[in-house]
Amino acid sequence: MSLIKKIYRSLVFFIKSIDQAHRIKAVEVTEYELRELENLFVLLLMGSFTGIPSPSTLVSAELIPDLTREIEVLNKRAEDAFDAFNELAGTIGID
Amino acid sequence: MKSLFFTGKGGVGKSTLSSAFGYQLAEKGYKVLIVSLDPAHNLGDIFSVKLDSKETSFSKNLSLSEVDLSKASKKYLKENTKVFEEVYGYLKVLNLDRYFNILKYTPGMEENAALIEIDRIFSTGDKFDFIVFDTPPTGITLRILALPSITINWLEQLIGIRKQILEKRYTIRKVREGNTETEKLKYDESDDKVIVKLYRMHEKYRNLESLIRGNNNTVSVVFNPDFLSMKESERLIKSLDELGIPLRLTFNNKFDSCLSEDADKIEKYLLSQKNDVINQRIGFSGNKKNPGYIIPDDLIQNYLKGNTDV
Repeated sequence: MSLIKKIYRSLVFFIKSIDQAHRIKAVEVTEYELRELENLFVLLLMGSFTGIPSPSTLVSAELIPDLTREIEVLNKRAEDAFDAFNELAGTIGID
Repeated sequence: MKSLFFTGKGGVGKSTLSSAFGYQLAEKGYKVLIVSLDPAHNLGDIFSVKLDSKETSFSKNLSLSEVDLSKASKKYLKENTKVFEEVYGYLKVLNLDRYFNILKYTPGMEENAALIEIDRIFSTGDKFDFIVFDTPPTGITLRILALPSITINWLEQLIGIRKQILEKRYTIRKVREGNTETEKLKYDESDDKVIVKLYRMHEKYRNLESLIRGNNNTVSVVFNPDFLSMKESERLIKSLDELGIPLRLTFNNKFDSCLSEDADKIEKYLLSQKNDVINQRIGFSGNKKNPGYIIPDDLIQNYLKGNTDV
């Protein structure tokens, strides 16, 4: 009985893992898009750093305190900017 | 509450005409506030009183105020940069916090401050029947008047991106059902401080824009019968058109009968396409019998009836 139980549990765990893996895989591209959007959002607000036109300073100044995560994303993207194409290719499965 | 902006090239007589207009309205018994947004203030000189950004009562019905734009922008930045000082408070240890002072030289700050002051004056405007604005020369005025629609465009774009961000966060959370960092991010519009602030700013600028473009606001252009003021007024009228701000009144100021040929030409040149604009010539010599009254009474009566386009 306990052996059957063990097998049953392992099977459930196995199926759950597959489900989990699919769930992770399913939104990988969305997650990539999300990061890029967050990156873009801050980039637009802080355009004067990169020389692109930006909104009035007050808009940026008012929003920046709530954008800690997005600024982190921006920094990270800036660090591995040269690798961005590789990451995209990896995410959408081009070898 | 109705408002009236006097715009035009430097030196054409905006301050004089706005003062006279405000004064004459007040003499008719209306509560009037005259505000000078021009950094080179003349309002105090005209009424021989010392003024600041607070409303000073000149007579029973007339209040005056001179907005100091550089002071207003410093004050506003101080409020806004407080948050920087809170976050980076530790820099005080190294005496580096003083570098935040550079923020007060941010480009475009004075236009922003002027707009915020206009907003503040509008929101306290219930005390008055009329608010008359004497504006800075053309360039600055146009930047101030253009700011709401430019900012609204930006905010709409930013709101669009932010909405997409929140949608993606929601999708990721629903599919993954997990507890990783991405999934814990706020995805509901009412929880996301950024989009709440964006909506709030959008509403504020929309209100300002509709106040400036609306029927209760009259924008007038003052010019003189000379070539330079004609060319600048032409650009001003064109820019007001582009901004969707209706021009309702023009004043051909410092008119003299010996200049009538030039005045005719200039009025024809500037206003031939503008059927709904009323033009008023104001004599160079003023009103000797009654110095405060230089705007003809029938123009004021027309304005009061709300049909300046008669």
